[in-house]
Amino acid sequence: MPKVTYIEPSGNQVEIDVPVGWSVMQSAMSNGVEGIEAECGGSCACATCHCYVESHADVVPAAGETELSMLGNVVAERKPNSRLCCQIKMTPELEGLVVRFPDAQS
Amino acid sequence: MFSFDPYSPAVDADPFPYYKTLRDEHPCFWSKEAGMWVLSRYADIVTALNDWQTFSSAKGNLMTELPNRAGATLGTTDPPRHDRLRGLIQHAFMKRNLESLAEPIKAAAREVAEPLRGEKQFDFVEDFSAKFTVKVLFAALGLPMGDEAQVREKAVLMVQSDPHTRTKGPEHIAAYNWMQDYASKVIAERRRNPQNDLISHFSMAEIDGDKLDEREVLLTTTTLIMAGVESLGGFLAMFALNMADHADARRQCVANPALLADAIEESLRFNTSAQRFRRCLTRDHTLHGQTMREGDFVCLAYGSGNRDERQFPNPDVYDIARKPKGHLGFGGSVHACLGTAIARISVKAAFEEFHKVVPEYRRVQEQLPWMPSSTFRSPLRLDLAPA
Repeated sequence: MPKVTYIEPSGNQVEIDVPVGWSVMQSAMSNGVEGIEAECGGSCACATCHCYVESHADVVPAAGETELSMLGNVVAERKPNSRLCCQIKMTPELEGLVVRFPDAQS
Repeated sequence: MFSFDPYSPAVDADPFPYYKTLRDEHPCFWSKEAGMWVLSRYADIVTALNDWQTFSSAKGNLMTELPNRAGATLGTTDPPRHDRLRGLIQHAFMKRNLESLAEPIKAAAREVAEPLRGEKQFDFVEDFSAKFTVKVLFAALGLPMGDEAQVREKAVLMVQSDPHTRTKGPEHIAAYNWMQDYASKVIAERRRNPQNDLISHFSMAEIDGDKLDEREVLLTTTTLIMAGVESLGGFLAMFALNMADHADARRQCVANPALLADAIEESLRFNTSAQRFRRCLTRDHTLHGQTMREGDFVCLAYGSGNRDERQFPNPDVYDIARKPKGHLGFGGSVHACLGTAIARISVKAAFEEFHKVVPEYRRVQEQLPWMPSSTFRSPLRLDLAPA
């Protein structure tokens, strides 16, 4: 299974095997990673799984229209590498992906 | 020979031993009584929820679907149509947009709790949760007051199924039809006199320049009312049951109401009212050595995934300190419950106020009358005796 490194707001790093097909949000939630709320459960509808993608910039598929508009609702600073991680589906190409969670989600 | 019949009263009463056998011995099980496959392990359910291209909702999501409903509601459409429909509604249900409802919800809880002061015994369902949920829903959707009791009665009936015929009975269909008529009157009224409320916006919304079709407006509104009344009410009853059965947890919550938030999450995991939903396969799919065929229905047993020790250690222990992240109490992925934020706010407010009036209580009935439903699980009556 491809690995993802999650950086919690404290700076703590958590490395998790993410099943292919799961979202990067889902694995963070199922493993109790700090710094993510995912209030809507993964329907790209709440902007509380905001993360900064710190690696694989050219490999992660671009955000769709709904996600881009929902990113307007994030509470922490929106940066060029801001994503909603419920919309990033795990693929073998994303092995070693690093995402960082902001200080606040809501 | 093991069987799993989601229509049987034994499963209504206590599905958890069946779930354990399913997870351990038959993780991909064909239930001939239900006429569908059953997935029961946490990881398999999450994988199916994420793979909506294979596990489609377009043929209906209720275990026993209501006629003519599939394809016209949020829960019964797939992306991309689903996402556009949801986009029209979601903003109204986001935590930050519900702040204006916090005070009315609290006031409703106070108003409903107060008459219970000094009572020796009461039915939590009839005397508290039914009254409270209808007030919350009417405030959230801006429904005209006057029909609350009937709306609640029909919402509770339409989610039920007949344990003998394993389908909807005439009384359930009649309740569903009544709710559609009610919704259509509300929609017509809002179109005549638009308000700044969800149904007004929704009934006049367009997707990609197309107006929503009438069936979508009608059945989505019908479903919102059903979910608002029945699902919130059912979960409140389950939460009250847990608080009654776990006195230590309740006393902690009474002493420090901030802990209610954790207790709510643990209850959503431990015995959520939304036990099972279904999907339909768009292609053949093999899992645990079984090949399920295109067109087969598949039950996702959320209530079982939430008790899977592969995900939650000591799953049968009710532990409000657990903080069960990623539980399936609201489902998950694109179809995760729309009402998560309002449900959390409402249940917390309800018990803050309820516990001020009734801090110590125990349950009276040893056996509870469980609702006959293949999808949801909650008691029809829950007698509580304050200590």
